[in-house]
Amino acid sequence: MASTPEWASLTDQQVVLLARGGRETAYRELIRRYERPIFALLFRMVRDRELAEDLSQETFVKALNAIDSYRPEFKFSSWIFKIANNAAIDHLRRRELDTLSLDGSPHAETPEAMQATALQIGARQESPLDAVEAKELGGAIEVAIGRLRPEYRSCILLRHVEGRAYEEIAEILNLPLGTVKTYIHRARNELRLLLAHLKE
Amino acid sequence: MNPAPGPHLSADDFDAWLSGALAPDTGEHLDRCPECQERADGEREIVAMLDSLSLMSPTPGFADRVMLSVALPDPFALRTLGSFRQRVLATPQAAALAATIAVLIVGSMTASIVWSLGHQQTLAAMGSWLTTEAWNAGWIALRGTASTLIEQPWYTALRSSLDHPARWAMLSAFASLAYVMGVVALRRLLALPAPRMAHVHP
Repeated sequence: MASTPEWASLTDQQVVLLARGGRETAYRELIRRYERPIFALLFRMVRDRELAEDLSQETFVKALNAIDSYRPEFKFSSWIFKIANNAAIDHLRRRELDTLSLDGSPHAETPEAMQATALQIGARQESPLDAVEAKELGGAIEVAIGRLRPEYRSCILLRHVEGRAYEEIAEILNLPLGTVKTYIHRARNELRLLLAHLKE
Repeated sequence: MNPAPGPHLSADDFDAWLSGALAPDTGEHLDRCPECQERADGEREIVAMLDSLSLMSPTPGFADRVMLSVALPDPFALRTLGSFRQRVLATPQAAALAATIAVLIVGSMTASIVWSLGHQQTLAAMGSWLTTEAWNAGWIALRGTASTLIEQPWYTALRSSLDHPARWAMLSAFASLAYVMGVVALRRLLALPAPRMAHVHP
């Protein structure tokens, strides 16, 4: 029986090679590494928790079933973010969502469904007061992000939430580097205007 | 107060400032220009707000749900031609190595064909000699095996036990049955495996 590798010491490319060899644990390691960032990106793109989860699942299934077509000279993160972004953009083209609901999906029909699809704030904050403040601040910025054009949204989220380099964002979104920079500058400007009321 | 030197900061300059890589002369302008300072503060606030966005995770069991729809590759299955080509052309070094091996194989095959065409009599003589030697070696081996078998202490008893035709019939039936079972086992071994699906971890 093959020995269990020390996952933390392996690069994405090495884990992909193990997955190509048919090791289920390698697939699970790739999911573990990317489920949070992919879900967060998709949630902020489509603004619906249930839908974001479906799109995340679709992204991983598509990527992992096509793991043989991944080319190791590129970053795995770029590849999977590209699949996720395409899934989000395809969805947004099919269906327009105009309003962000922090309290749940606009398509939820019952209070239970709204609760189930509501944005769940993570565990960065400690006290209930901190949580309320963070929710208000986070809510305002989430609303503002939701009002950006989808292409600005992808750029700003990949740059300032996921911490990706400009070159990688250009590769993920299949855009020229200059266009990516312009979109990010414009997105920051729009966010500043949309959040100006918080300073008053 | 002296006016700020140089032009106002560009969008790229603000990016550089946010990454802590602003050029010193541009930094001097920023220190003295209230307009650029106000813009820089605004950029920093936005980036800080984005940075403080809450962490989010999919619901528990996400990996299991994904793995239910993922077909794991069979490690012993033959790779497709497309996959093979992709691996060969993955890096310039791999492509150069593959090209060298291909040239060596084709070159040696060509040289072999040319030499054979030019030395047909030599090849015929070598073939004849090899056939004779192989025949002799085979005959010696057969005779040796037969004499060894006949000299065994159990040989006489075995021969007398197979004198009756019914015993030959039983032996034939047993051999046929073993053959059929062997064919069935081989077919099962050579059957294409169904794609393995991941199982859900409890």
